[in-house]
Amino acid sequence: MMETTMLKIENLHARVAGKEILKGLSLEVKAGEVHAIMGPNGAGKSTLGNVLAGRDGYEVTQGSVSYDGKNLLELPPEARAAAGVFLAFQYPVEIPGVNNTYFLRTALNAQRKARGEAELDSMQFLKRVREKLAVLHLKDELLHRAVNEGFSGGEKKRNEIFQMALLEPTLAILDETDSGLDIDALKMVADGVNAMRSSERAFLVITHYQRLLDYIVPDVVHVLADGRIVESGDASLAQKLEDHGYAWIAERKLAGAA
Amino acid sequence: MSAALIEEFGRGDAREREESWRYSKTALRALSQQDFVAADTDAELPETLRAQFDWMQTRGRRVVLVNGAVSERYSDFADVGAMVTVGETGGTYAVRIDGGIDGPVHVVYVSVPSAQPSRWRASTSMVVVNGSARMIEQHLGVDGAGVLGSVRRRIDLGEGARLELVSVCDLPESASLYRLLDVHLGAKATLRATHVLLGGRLQRLDMQVELAGEQARLESRGVFALRGRAHVDTHLDVRHVARDTACDILWRGVADQRARGIFHGAITVAAGADGSDAKLSNKNLLLSAQAEIDTQPVLEIHADEVKAAHGATVGQLDERALFYLRSRGIPLAEARRMMVTAFCREVLDGVADPDLRERLAQRMHAALPVEE
Repeated sequence: MMETTMLKIENLHARVAGKEILKGLSLEVKAGEVHAIMGPNGAGKSTLGNVLAGRDGYEVTQGSVSYDGKNLLELPPEARAAAGVFLAFQYPVEIPGVNNTYFLRTALNAQRKARGEAELDSMQFLKRVREKLAVLHLKDELLHRAVNEGFSGGEKKRNEIFQMALLEPTLAILDETDSGLDIDALKMVADGVNAMRSSERAFLVITHYQRLLDYIVPDVVHVLADGRIVESGDASLAQKLEDHGYAWIAERKLAGAA
Repeated sequence: MSAALIEEFGRGDAREREESWRYSKTALRALSQQDFVAADTDAELPETLRAQFDWMQTRGRRVVLVNGAVSERYSDFADVGAMVTVGETGGTYAVRIDGGIDGPVHVVYVSVPSAQPSRWRASTSMVVVNGSARMIEQHLGVDGAGVLGSVRRRIDLGEGARLELVSVCDLPESASLYRLLDVHLGAKATLRATHVLLGGRLQRLDMQVELAGEQARLESRGVFALRGRAHVDTHLDVRHVARDTACDILWRGVADQRARGIFHGAITVAAGADGSDAKLSNKNLLLSAQAEIDTQPVLEIHADEVKAAHGATVGQLDERALFYLRSRGIPLAEARRMMVTAFCREVLDGVADPDLRERLAQRMHAALPVEE
């Protein structure tokens, strides 16, 4: 059986504030796969997530990103979302005065509208919300608050995964969702992700530590260093990194070059 | 010509007038270069305009002024009852409320253009002798050759009286309005005022409040949301004269495209007004590089044991929050609108009546700048 390539990144170069961060990154993700992107701080992990989601200020200078056969880079962020791309933020933003329920319903219906699907009425919407809240062990009360306002670090991260569950993207990018989470919250996040794994959906799990990958077992692990993928392997690569540290990769690269 | 209008609308000596109109001088001068005819007080109101003020809740308690004169034809104050008297003396329309009344009194000012630029003037007064009252004031207009309206209004609240005033000024780009609101609060009297200012070629609100009796209290909330070439100039001047008086001022401003907004909030605590409490918060959002907002909080204290806090800011929409909303699929224009609505929400929280609050929220949401 031929698996379809969902995301194809070729020789991607990107700059932030005039500084080149991604220096020829290539990556291919098929539907149904979970890819982990690991790497030291400053390697360009978050830049990759932000470039894929379409954040302003991230300038692509070379290379291409195709998603479902479309040129992803020419779409505005909202069109990428409607096309099924979701970024779980490393630092979810607090938006005082914007009610969470209103925000989620507007987002879901805007995406549905853009895809030519019928919008959900409030009953249908609330039913769906309640189902997803239960999975993430989040309280109803969260719906009445402003977006992320006054949420604890763990609540913010779980709220990201809750939004992902509600919006049902086809490509979900988790940008260090594990950072700052205790073990219980980490498991909830992993449960939320695992419940969504399917043959039509792919995940890019960006993380610094191997810990999350004990719970979300990836199909492929990539090591990102200095703006490029320097090593790819199966889930055991994450364990090797954990045992040897990122310096090990640098040494191997040096040995290879010599 | 300009000198004439600045003399008519300005107060104090020449220097004070100049200072108070410094941001709106050009707009006022442009306006004065027109020749105005007297506006037609018998003008017909188009159905679409009547629909904007013909609210179910205020039938029977509504006064409509067409180009500055009370219109028998469009007014409907059959139900206001014996507690309220509406009358005219020497060109001033007076509303006198003696005792508490249920439901709001709805006062509607309509500017209807003639073939040439026209003007009208109105003078009204409201006295709440005691008890509590609610008033909704609405300014509307029909687009066309410009209309310049001016309203001088006096509100007197007796001892312990309470007034909730909600004022919405929703003008087309051709209409201009000067308003002087002169408020006098007796002991333990409370005025809670909410102003919503949308559009207009030149709109000026001068609000002077004297906290004349002990424990008098002013709560002033307001917002302007402007686009196009709208120009809105707001001057609040609050004087604490008696002991233990309080004011709480919370204003927000939003300007997009080439709009211009000015907020000037002055609080003076006079000698002897000990124990006064003054709060002023003014925050503004600029949505375009061509828009401009000027804010000027002024605090002058001559008394002892005074609590005073004030802050004013002019900023832009939080780009991180905008990206967050967009990354969830919300189109840019809608994301901006959500954030601007959220920014203004606090102002409407002061309106007690949920139906009215919803009506204002919807009107403001529709008027809000959404240009990309």
